[in-house]
Amino acid sequence: MARYQITETDIPFAREFLAQPIGYHSPGLQRVLNRMRGADWEFKYVLVVEERYARWRLGRLAKKRGAKVEMVDDVTYTDLLEAERDIFKRRWKDLVGQDVETLLSQSS
Amino acid sequence: MLPIVGYTNKLTAEPGETLDVMVSSFGAKSYRADFRQIIQGDTNPEGPGYKDKLVALDLGSDRPALEKPFRPGSCVIVPGLDALPPIKDFTVAAVVKPTLLDGRMRSVLSLPGFAAIGIDENDQLTGVAGGHALVTSTQLSINHWHIVSLSYCAATQNLALSVAKDLDGASEPSLPEIVTVKAEVPPGNPTECIFGASRESDGELAGFFDGKIDRPAFFDTALAPNTLRHLLTDLSQLRRQRSLLGAWDFSLKMTTQTICDVSPFLLHGQIHNAPARAMTGWLWKGQELDWKLRPDLYSAIHFHSTDMYDAGWEVDFSVTIPDDLKSGVYSVRLVPDGDEDAAYYCVFAVRPPRDRASGNTVAFLFPTCSYMAYANHRLGMDVPGTEIGMGRAVELDRHHMFLQDNPGIGLSVYETHDDETGVFHSSRLRPIVDLQPKVKSFLGGYGSNIWQFNADTHILGWLDAIDQDYDVITDEDMHEDGLRLLQRYNVILTGTHPEYYTGNMIEAMQGFTDRGGRLMYLGGNGFYWVVSFNEDMPGIMECRRSEAGIRPWEPGHGQFYHGFTGEYGGLWRRNGRPPNHLCGVGMTSQGFDISEPYVVSPEASDPRAAFIFDGVDGTRIGGFGLAGGGAAGLEVDRADQAQGTPEHALVLASSTRHTDIYLMTPEDLLDPTPDWSGTQADIIRADLTFFETIGGGAVFSTGSIAWAGSMAWNGYDNHIARMTENVLRRFDDKTAFEYPRR
Repeated sequence: MARYQITETDIPFAREFLAQPIGYHSPGLQRVLNRMRGADWEFKYVLVVEERYARWRLGRLAKKRGAKVEMVDDVTYTDLLEAERDIFKRRWKDLVGQDVETLLSQSS
Repeated sequence: MLPIVGYTNKLTAEPGETLDVMVSSFGAKSYRADFRQIIQGDTNPEGPGYKDKLVALDLGSDRPALEKPFRPGSCVIVPGLDALPPIKDFTVAAVVKPTLLDGRMRSVLSLPGFAAIGIDENDQLTGVAGGHALVTSTQLSINHWHIVSLSYCAATQNLALSVAKDLDGASEPSLPEIVTVKAEVPPGNPTECIFGASRESDGELAGFFDGKIDRPAFFDTALAPNTLRHLLTDLSQLRRQRSLLGAWDFSLKMTTQTICDVSPFLLHGQIHNAPARAMTGWLWKGQELDWKLRPDLYSAIHFHSTDMYDAGWEVDFSVTIPDDLKSGVYSVRLVPDGDEDAAYYCVFAVRPPRDRASGNTVAFLFPTCSYMAYANHRLGMDVPGTEIGMGRAVELDRHHMFLQDNPGIGLSVYETHDDETGVFHSSRLRPIVDLQPKVKSFLGGYGSNIWQFNADTHILGWLDAIDQDYDVITDEDMHEDGLRLLQRYNVILTGTHPEYYTGNMIEAMQGFTDRGGRLMYLGGNGFYWVVSFNEDMPGIMECRRSEAGIRPWEPGHGQFYHGFTGEYGGLWRRNGRPPNHLCGVGMTSQGFDISEPYVVSPEASDPRAAFIFDGVDGTRIGGFGLAGGGAAGLEVDRADQAQGTPEHALVLASSTRHTDIYLMTPEDLLDPTPDWSGTQADIIRADLTFFETIGGGAVFSTGSIAWAGSMAWNGYDNHIARMTENVLRRFDDKTAFEYPRR
């Protein structure tokens, strides 16, 4: 069980991430991402390549070696940064139980 | 998914040599094959463009694509037991330590058709003979050794199964549990004995055991468990037992596939699928850490249901390399059902002839050891932390989906077996689905995200773009031929990540630069891990990740010495051959998100380095690239005299910051305070380094995996490619470099 729990107080880091998903992050955002990307999940969101450098489908990879990758219906991306943002929002919803976009609009 | 996959029996072949090609269908009905030189494999639209060349070599027309299975799992097979007289009374026994108990039924030892000891779905010991089955109430444990036996006395019709669990923390052995049944077991003539598996009625091996087995033995009398314990403790006395039919001492001929029977019957056997030998046995209590000094304590073999040496597929066809084919990286391309997009590439090197030099003075060193280390790796699938290290979501390309569906293909030395112990061995006698052009990876950085072979094609593509003639030689060639081969060249170029080296390879490369050769180390984290080949098992490599290094597992206490050669496993840095001696830099950090430029240092203005910067201006270089957007990144090396960097080495440029995904290597992180990260610690950097050797040679090291991704930027038209070419031109000039005397 991960010790760090993401809460509404992390919303500035959500804003930071959505502005720049890949690259330099503040220590606070890195901690949020470590929680989201670490081991404490029954599944991981993955990007299944449909066409290299052009199109990806969202998948869920179970922990067990050799388990079938479960495809998330109707979710495809044509841009990796958009994919990162979408996965971040899904994980926020899973972990915090709230829609990050709503929180962002309330806090701005 | 991959509808067709294949492999060749070698990764290097000379003109005139014949390669066998093994192919299996995973959905394809038919296929045709052609022969192509691989020039540049990155298909990123930002890159220089995919390029291969068809070689006019007739590989036949359409062939049927036949399904061939992967059959992982290791064991020992002892044939020839039918030479023994018919067995009436007997005891079979072994000392075992399971390392995975997960509800699968497994075989500890079996004499097919006669008797067997196994573990059932409840982790209890089972014994079977003459159609009678026994089960202990004792559940086996992954934390302890157990003495197990099955015995039968015809006179009393007593069939007995026994298990004694050795509790390490207890002062004396625990009492055995013995279960018995009155039964009639007819005399038998088993033909073979198998340790760690059984054989199905169709002849296939099954019921593979995950765990250690020590000193299995076979007697023609029923022995009481306490007598048995006494006998098994001393193998030298055991061999004089008149009741002994066979006793297999796994500590003999440790570096081979042979298993020795120490009984007078000499019923020797063979390992199957390369289980780990030289493993601590039942009697190892820390008395010695080097198996060579006390092999008797290393009398266990660790078997895994996931071990794989030789896929053993039937040969589909053979290809003879044309005598006039120039050296290079080639592939047999398999096109399933006319679908070029689904083609599979069996990649290998055509090396120059063994008996004569090609005349080329430049060689690309095709790093087969590092390709084998990463062969079919599953870092992005099996290791949750990979996504953190990547700084972005894991991409699963088609070959990753294939791996997910086919774990039986065998693992890389980055994985653990199902029992979470490390994978020591990786073999090339199976398809290596990530040794292909076009494939994406996990660790290649934001951008092209390619790794090892496909990333190395940025260098091959650049050599092609500048019309440079070159030979391709492989790690295995260098391991076998040493300096006899390297001495043909003025310049040797490495790949982007030549991480795994045998002792022969290190010595050959060091001998090359010492004697005037020029080394262009165009990568990062090179010359890092000790690996070994096995003289009795071509095509397999061992790596035991002892003590330090960024590593996914440790070999286990007392198991740091390689089984193949007895070499101490781990980092070359801890074995008297730090990479800094060879190339001036050594691994310092890694991160797989973005890369950085280098900042030019005052040492770059030293006249000794003027040729490198000819036509290159500015104080920052490499602020672009296909591997994370910079030339310095992914895995980076620093110059460090304390680790052996020559005092006269010039650090021409360095990266000056990295993201906080870049952390310190464990070998340097003695006290893990939170300031050892890319935005804080100066030690986390790539050092572009140059030095001359006393023999008139020279070394140019980029200390960065991402360098080649910058070479390939803008169609190879950029100042990183220019610098690299400056170095190549001067290095290819035989004029001796002057060794600076300070």
